[in-house]
Amino acid sequence: MKRTVLYDCHLECGGRLVDFAGWHMPVQYQKGILQEHLETRRSAGLFDVSHMGRFEIMGRRALELLRWVLTNDAAALPVGRAHYTLLADETGGAIDDAYLYRFLPEQWILVVNAANTYKDWEYLRRKAGEMGGGIQMKNISEELAMMALQGPQSESLLWGMIEGGQLPEPKRNALGAVRIAGCEVLVGRTGYTGEPVCFELFVPAKAAERLWCLFLERGACPVGLGARDTLRLEASLPLYGHEYGRDVTGREIPILACPAAKVGVNLKDPERRFIGRDALEEQSRTLKKGICAFRVLGKGVVRAGAVVFQGLREIGRVTSGTVVPYWVPRAVSCPHHCGHGAGWEAHFSGQTAQRAIGLAMLEGPLGAGALIEIDLRGRRVEAEVVKRNLDNSCGPITFAVV
Amino acid sequence: MIDPEARYLRTHEWAKDEGRGIFAVGLSSYALEQLGDIVYLELPEEGDTVEQGGTFGVVESVKAASDLYAPLGGEIVEVNQAAVDNPDMLKEDPYEEGWLIKIKASNPSEFEDLMDAKEYKQFLETEAE
Repeated sequence: MKRTVLYDCHLECGGRLVDFAGWHMPVQYQKGILQEHLETRRSAGLFDVSHMGRFEIMGRRALELLRWVLTNDAAALPVGRAHYTLLADETGGAIDDAYLYRFLPEQWILVVNAANTYKDWEYLRRKAGEMGGGIQMKNISEELAMMALQGPQSESLLWGMIEGGQLPEPKRNALGAVRIAGCEVLVGRTGYTGEPVCFELFVPAKAAERLWCLFLERGACPVGLGARDTLRLEASLPLYGHEYGRDVTGREIPILACPAAKVGVNLKDPERRFIGRDALEEQSRTLKKGICAFRVLGKGVVRAGAVVFQGLREIGRVTSGTVVPYWVPRAVSCPHHCGHGAGWEAHFSGQTAQRAIGLAMLEGPLGAGALIEIDLRGRRVEAEVVKRNLDNSCGPITFAVV
Repeated sequence: MIDPEARYLRTHEWAKDEGRGIFAVGLSSYALEQLGDIVYLELPEEGDTVEQGGTFGVVESVKAASDLYAPLGGEIVEVNQAAVDNPDMLKEDPYEEGWLIKIKASNPSEFEDLMDAKEYKQFLETEAE
């Protein structure tokens, strides 16, 4: 079983370690999943994401490779920006989903899922080999650790520590580089929690423990994989193996069934041929089913695999489901007129509650407000299709849409 | 923490003899610790019957749903509605206030089939290995 460079830190923080994709990772720390979720939404959550794969791709034909194997157009990615992208197969299914970072003009860093790192690495090396040279690829997963700092207080927490360099401009996917505690840190305004104030930090492995401890001293809450999952699900973000890859019946999920994929698939340039393009164009024209967010109206928690009905008709399956906690917002008038007191003027009441939510692959079209029923161990529980379960449209604070 | 008065199933439910053939049933603190945050309990109705080893409900943590197994067979004579309304109380007081159901045993001698506190402690030690 593999360990990240922060393994000892997890033990010191009381992390409960589990096997995740071949890694010993903390599923939660002492406060528990619910509290870690709430702390991220209210202040700042700190995540070890060093188990994910990081590949450096350079060379005169690097861009050509990236434009061939990734669904988003790497040529449209300026220096100092990152974007969401996918590795598609010829049939329009996902080999993986990934994030592409361009910190330097001639260097790209591709971050992939932990469970797929080996598969992706072999696949990319094979594709690079087919191109016959001009590409340098290096697996930098071990030398460069990775942490995520997410939540409304994460920026002010960082500000107090920066000795030089520049944080990325306050815009999602912007990149920067700073010096913290004598260490050069690459910073992206990216993350997997739905938080509008969010950072992912690329740190030399030998400095990772020191920075982890400093962030905790400054008030960040360590967050394990359990709350990482509830946070992403509340924000309706897809997870490979649930919303991408194969469904519970073994069938391949079309990439464009997932609304999040729309920002990761770029079909604009008709001259760019990339793997899976024909299938994805077909999906964009004809796909009827799609992944929808829902909230459970009845009692109980629905889980992945549960069958969804409308009346007697089976219309799909739950792809992810759980219970998430939330801060009950204090009603204040909102200058942004977004309806429920969110935005800069908003405050948490201090009260918390829980709700059951999820994502489901459903035959469409089903709009927000549509009522569905989900099989829960032989009984039906009512649920409602929603546009979103989390409002992060006018940060820095996000609110549960209940 | 193991209650010395209780007897245990391998699936970590406990039973305590309350006299007159009635047994309180709950979940051990070890199981509650393993489950993490408990968010939902599904328990039977009073008057339902259950067999020894049969499922009588479901406990949901954030991560997963787990079946609850009956240490003894019989009729459900009481359900802890306060625990259903506030599953946190299971962790706060797993062997007293945090009981789940009470069973009027159809065969009280089934209690003897269960592990006593010492045996359960040994069982947990082997599980940990």
